[in-house]
Amino acid sequence: MGTQIQWETSLTTAKAKAKREKKLILMDFYNNL
Amino acid sequence: MNVCASVEKNFVPLQIDFNKGKALVKRYSVKWTPTIIILDSDGNEHHRFIGFLPPEDFTAQLILGKGKAEFDLDHFEQAIQCFQEILGRYPKADAAPEAQYYLGVAKYKASHDPKQLKLGLEALRKDYPNSEWTKKAQVYALIP
Repeated sequence: MGTQIQWETSLTTAKAKAKREKKLILMDFYNNL
Repeated sequence: MNVCASVEKNFVPLQIDFNKGKALVKRYSVKWTPTIIILDSDGNEHHRFIGFLPPEDFTAQLILGKGKAEFDLDHFEQAIQCFQEILGRYPKADAAPEAQYYLGVAKYKASHDPKQLKLGLEALRKDYPNSEWTKKAQVYALIP
């Protein structure tokens, strides 16, 4: 089985995590048609 | 490395519903989906791409985004590593000519040697003669 990506849903949380882990943020805007 | 592993290693993944995240849609001027934006931890944008891509092109775009973020932050050696990784692993990806362009520029910024720009142009002319990035680098031919 492939690994599932664990998505954040809040930019504030993602920024704090990115700062803590010294990573960038991949922000994906999606639309369920 | 597959797409998921590449994402987990380098990024905090954040998903925003286009219909619910109106404030972020407006802030980042998103008009179509999927739109992928690479941000630093302060929320500054460094790269974006729109539309569905096959895994290799998607991964190459992610590495390009990481390279451009490192470049913007003046981390030129790290940026060079990213651009070289694209050219080594995904030379046929659509992101590759842009990576070659930025590789020459990052090497120049790291060394202050203008010859790096000319070498970058030569590589673009050889490997990506019809790319817009080759056109953008034409002026470097004037460097003695």
